[in-house]
Amino acid sequence: MSETVAADLVLLDQPFTAPGVRIAIAPAMMRYALRARDPAVLSAVIGRVLPSRIGDVVDGIACLGPDEWLALLPAGTVLENETGQLVSVVDVSCRAVGITVEGPGAVALVATGCPLDVERMAVGRATRTVFETVEIVLWRKAVDAFHIDVWRSFAPWLGAALVAGSPS
Amino acid sequence: MLLIHCPYCEEDRPEVEFVNGGQAHIARPADPSSESDADWEKYLYIRRNPRGRHHERWRHIHGCGRFFNAVRDTVSDRFETTYKAGEPAK
Repeated sequence: MSETVAADLVLLDQPFTAPGVRIAIAPAMMRYALRARDPAVLSAVIGRVLPSRIGDVVDGIACLGPDEWLALLPAGTVLENETGQLVSVVDVSCRAVGITVEGPGAVALVATGCPLDVERMAVGRATRTVFETVEIVLWRKAVDAFHIDVWRSFAPWLGAALVAGSPS
Repeated sequence: MLLIHCPYCEEDRPEVEFVNGGQAHIARPADPSSESDADWEKYLYIRRNPRGRHHERWRHIHGCGRFFNAVRDTVSDRFETTYKAGEPAK
């Protein structure tokens, strides 16, 4: 990869498999950036339960910070945002790309670039963190399955880095 | 790797998720136009640079995004404690 410059990288156009790991682009989904001082108001506006503890996920809505949530919902899901309330519900569906990493080697692969103690991350938790120098949202969906949400312009590099880090 | 306890996430998180925000507990004067030049300079530029215990602002920029305060030893680089923004100095 040393002769490849970042601009030449292309996003994984088909799933990549290596011993114990499978990397693929996640299907298109709806993403909402949710902000509110008072979670109860936001919860009432969108009609969904919000996780209160940072890192928890409830029905696809992850709590990233004390007043910040990221909703990762199936394509076509629409959240109410014309409310006049002091909350922010912003459609950011096209901002990021989802990359799924699955298989018995998933933990080791994510750990090649993520400084968190990935093995100890509880199933069902999600957090903003970094992979090398790229900011990601890491969601552990199962013991051996991760969803990585990464901003679109970083996605080709991240895909290449995950492929490069896979066992051969 | 250095681990920093984020008081909002309530977890020990890797150092690379954080950025330093300079000395903590510097209050902006309520009425800047009544400040003397010397006092204003002191507020803007004059900072402590202690050898040892230092109160600092840190931001969990690649995590919850929040600023918080920390007490760090500038010699050993050990974090003594961290606490939420707005809480009294420890």
